Amino acid sequence: MEIANTYYSKDEYVETASGNKVSRQTVLCGSQNIVLNGKVIVQSGSIIRGDLANVRTGRYCVISKNAVIRPPCKQFSKGIAFFPMHIGDHVFIGEDAVVSAAVIGSFVYIGKNAIIGRRCVLKDCCIIEDGAVLPPETTVGSYMRFTAKGTIEGGQGNPNFVPTAMQDQMIDYTKSFYEHFVRAPAAC
Amino acid sequence: MPPAESNDVKIMNKSIVCEDSTLRGDITISQGCVIHPSASILAEAGPIILGENCIVEEYATIAYRLTEEQKRQKEEGNLEPCPPLVVGSNNVFEVGCIVEAQKIGDKNVFECKCYVGPEVVVTNGCVVGAAVSLKCKQVLPESTVIYGRDCQQREAIDKYAYQTLQIDFLRKVLPNYHHLRKPNQDPKRTRSVV
Amino acid sequence: MANFMQDSVVKYACSCGILNPISKLFFCRHCPKLRCGFCVCHEVDSNFCSNCLENIPSSEARNKKNCCANCFNCPCCHHTLSARATTVVVQKKPEEGAKDGDGAAGADAKPDPSKVITKKMYYLSCLACRWTSRDVGIPDQSVATGSWPDNECAYQTRFNALAEYYQAVVQQDKQERQEYLRRKTPKTHKFPSLTDRTGLTVSIIRRQMGWSDKNTQKAKPVNIAPAQNTEDVGQLPESIFTQKINLRNITTVKQRHNQPCEQPFTINKLYPQRRGLWIKRSLRCRECEHNVIKPEYHPTSVKYRIQLFASYHVPDVLLVKCDQPLKAGEPNAVILKLSNPTLHDMEINIVELPTEEDELKLIEEFKRACTLKDTSLTAATAMDSLKSLTGSPSLTGTASLTNTSLVRQTSILEEPRVVKLKVNSKLQPPEASFILNLRDDSREFDDEPQTTTKSEPEFIVSRKSNKVYLSLKFIPDADLKTGDDVYVGFNMLYTYVNTVTNTPEKKEPTTHVLNCRIYVQVGSIEA
Repeated sequence: MEIANTYYSKDEYVETASGNKVSRQTVLCGSQNIVLNGKVIVQSGSIIRGDLANVRTGRYCVISKNAVIRPPCKQFSKGIAFFPMHIGDHVFIGEDAVVSAAVIGSFVYIGKNAIIGRRCVLKDCCIIEDGAVLPPETTVGSYMRFTAKGTIEGGQGNPNFVPTAMQDQMIDYTKSFYEHFVRAPAAC
Repeated sequence: MPPAESNDVKIMNKSIVCEDSTLRGDITISQGCVIHPSASILAEAGPIILGENCIVEEYATIAYRLTEEQKRQKEEGNLEPCPPLVVGSNNVFEVGCIVEAQKIGDKNVFECKCYVGPEVVVTNGCVVGAAVSLKCKQVLPESTVIYGRDCQQREAIDKYAYQTLQIDFLRKVLPNYHHLRKPNQDPKRTRSVV
Repeated sequence: MANFMQDSVVKYACSCGILNPISKLFFCRHCPKLRCGFCVCHEVDSNFCSNCLENIPSSEARNKKNCCANCFNCPCCHHTLSARATTVVVQKKPEEGAKDGDGAAGADAKPDPSKVITKKMYYLSCLACRWTSRDVGIPDQSVATGSWPDNECAYQTRFNALAEYYQAVVQQDKQERQEYLRRKTPKTHKFPSLTDRTGLTVSIIRRQMGWSDKNTQKAKPVNIAPAQNTEDVGQLPESIFTQKINLRNITTVKQRHNQPCEQPFTINKLYPQRRGLWIKRSLRCRECEHNVIKPEYHPTSVKYRIQLFASYHVPDVLLVKCDQPLKAGEPNAVILKLSNPTLHDMEINIVELPTEEDELKLIEEFKRACTLKDTSLTAATAMDSLKSLTGSPSLTGTASLTNTSLVRQTSILEEPRVVKLKVNSKLQPPEASFILNLRDDSREFDDEPQTTTKSEPEFIVSRKSNKVYLSLKFIPDADLKTGDDVYVGFNMLYTYVNTVTNTPEKKEPTTHVLNCRIYVQVGSIEA
């Protein structure tokens, strides 16, 4: 199926020069520490905690409604530190997801209601299923699928869990999502 | 949901309460607490007293709701005032959790998106894991850890002291970025400083 | 391709007859046919640990029993354990304390740092269920990885004896078979002369050919004590009936199965388990033995060395929408979007699906072709495949005769089958074929709209670079009920320019007309 157009009202979204579309109904704390690298969609209700540490996303990322992006913290003997968070290109973060990963690679799909615990590492081309819970410090390798049951499945060359052409599919998906995320006609 | 009649929020000094948070009803926030933006504390049935050094993260909800019975009584106008919900000290309410427990002790962690129903009593040192949902009437013994999809229980042997450093950090950082609600209570007036 | 997480409504029939979305299909350029994950050969390409992402050579992997040397799983919840550092105060000599400077930082406040220093000690901790290695009394270690003790299970010696015994049995079996084969194969007269010229000894040649030296002892399995059954099982302890069980101290079935050699009853016997390794697979076409997928070795790399995805070679069909609400027996049209992923123009012709008899006939033909190929499979090709499998040139020669067990599963071709899905609508195929333009990435940046030079057939709705929107007329069967899913099927003939050829002398790309059967779930009958 082709993606249906998602319409937004002109008043709700701000479009930046680099093509980011950011809802006004978001909580972007410490916006000076948040870098959206272009053509990123941040939907309403989502929270990005740039005040805790830097957050940097690549191009063509989608941060869906009510998702929380929260840099992870780590305790040391002398105190606590929040680590900056890097998100690669073409990453989709589903609705109501809570993301505290240290690194998210490119071409990653995070389903809705997923919880990514502190300091998780998501490598390129992995899938986190809807409602999956990743305990802190989980590593999900490339072409792995973290299921809602809590298991890791797949691996490169195994077509049953993650599509072998995950990279192309994510590029395709995030690009068409961006292209179909359009301003509602002025008449409405 | 009828709006609470009066928002009587008491914030002790040295606590950080972001303005974006939703505080409804009679709430007392003790010293050293950190309330993140978009957090909500709803004191519908009666007052909520939040102990010292608690952290309430984004989209977390602490609610003290009326039961069906109490709702009916309220409509009839003969609801007796409920006893306050006392939340102990050093608790962490992580992103998106909903806690409606009738009693909460000290040093508990409510992880992301967990749900604790109104008939649950949480003692001390418990960890309610991410996405765990506790609905039935139960008392969590001390140091219980509930984890995983099937809500397995075990007893933690290692003590888990963690948030004091985090509170120190947040107390330093959050005022730089957020509008805060002013503390309106001086604990010196009520009791001596610890 | 829309959302790959959802079930695709457009399915392609693989050459084995299983329906798949295009994202799960491969295209063997040498055959040239569609292949799916079910009808290709899966091979282990490389081993790695999914936690530390370290590539582990297959020999080492076998040595370590396919477990990672450094990573552990929680025995309680099976999540990965992480090493946690703690600082402990130890009484030590001053020169030793100077080494671990970081750990000593916390001890600055101490009055005499030369006597009391802190040292970093590590323990394993699970961040999902809060299990720690201290819970079962494993002492903290001074280094984070590598020094964790393996728990030896009580039956380890028995286990090793059994393994040894059966290895010997296998060895003996193999030797006997080789002996038998040697006696059967006719003596070739090349070898004596060859040895004469090169001075190779017989035993070296024997070894090269994979035969054992004549003078080696025949492997004889050592006898082991067979297991004894016992009559006396013992009674349950009295306390089990009278005392209340604390369920928190008793392991779950899953926990026991994760620790198979001990299967502990109580939680204080749970020990960290080494983490199993993962593999990267390469997929191989069973018919022509060429790889359709071969990943890069490096565990973190997402690239392929060979990637013959169907979506790179076969026109992608996407359902856009139905013209009208679906009604049983009423003519309707569906808009499909076709895109050409290749760098050559394609001529596409849409015709009706083959009938069931045709399909059976096709399968028959295919089977015949396979058997022909099988019989013509000479020893030379078998040897080639063996060579490519083992990668060692020394195993050529008569080795293919002796190591028959090593030859890849060439003959196990997937039996083609009739496509299960039945279409329930009548297609009215368009009367003409049309051209699908080649993919040109630079065209994305052209502002100018494409000028249509020639008049388009009626069924083409619009064109945009390598994409064509076309409208396909069909009539859902009259006996469909409200809510029934409507399937439209068609056979798509497309021209495919093959740039690789099997024969080296023929360099020009060849053009084939290929066909694939496509099934589209257009929606359900509306009330």
